[in-house]
Amino acid sequence: MKDNANILAFITWGILLSSASILISDINQFDFDQFKEFQNWAKTANKSNTWFTSQNAIQWSYYAISAGLFFWRGYLIYGFSYFLSILKEIEKGNYFSHKNIKYFKKIGNIFIWYTVNVLVLRFLLALTNNSTFNFFNELKAEFTFLIPAGLAFYILGDIFKRAKETEEENKLTI
Amino acid sequence: MPIIVNLDIMLTKRNMKSKELAEIIGITTANMSILKSGKAKAVRFSTLEAICKALDCQPGDILEFIED
Repeated sequence: MKDNANILAFITWGILLSSASILISDINQFDFDQFKEFQNWAKTANKSNTWFTSQNAIQWSYYAISAGLFFWRGYLIYGFSYFLSILKEIEKGNYFSHKNIKYFKKIGNIFIWYTVNVLVLRFLLALTNNSTFNFFNELKAEFTFLIPAGLAFYILGDIFKRAKETEEENKLTI
Repeated sequence: MPIIVNLDIMLTKRNMKSKELAEIIGITTANMSILKSGKAKAVRFSTLEAICKALDCQPGDILEFIED
């Protein structure tokens, strides 16, 4: 397991870096699109209208929700970084440490929070865009993976907690 | 814990040091101190057998039940 930990850490680093770079490129892309939309809007906007027109409010809520979606994607990547901490603990030989239990529960938390929040934000985004939002289709896409994974990590945390108790008991058996 | 380990008494009776006993029965001094301090959660039959053999005593001489 210790030998595999290095390989797994290497793979995790690869996933982390690639997903972070995808996120950054998406944010960059979004910025460009946003700028173009602003330019178009500025050309056609009625100058006599107040700043907080309904069109503006919709536009801004769209940006805010998109920013929120980027934030949650970043949060998910941050969640993945806990795998590195777990692998570090395994490398040290602390398989059932308190830290590992804590990290598993945090990963579970992050996965579930990400799923719920992204679902809510996508629903709001669909409202601002006046597009149709199919709850079950959204669930089918990527959420079917993340909610069970989050729950699995929660359960894994509990299993590790029990394993730690057993390990301590075993250590105190003379 | 209502189970008391009277290893100290037996060691004094046999005029033996805990380090010596640990060496005879093949456990570490750290484990011996866990056993003596009453922090141990369980004692293996093989360890108990080795202790009884080394100290020439019965399990009842080492372990005692006192209700809380």
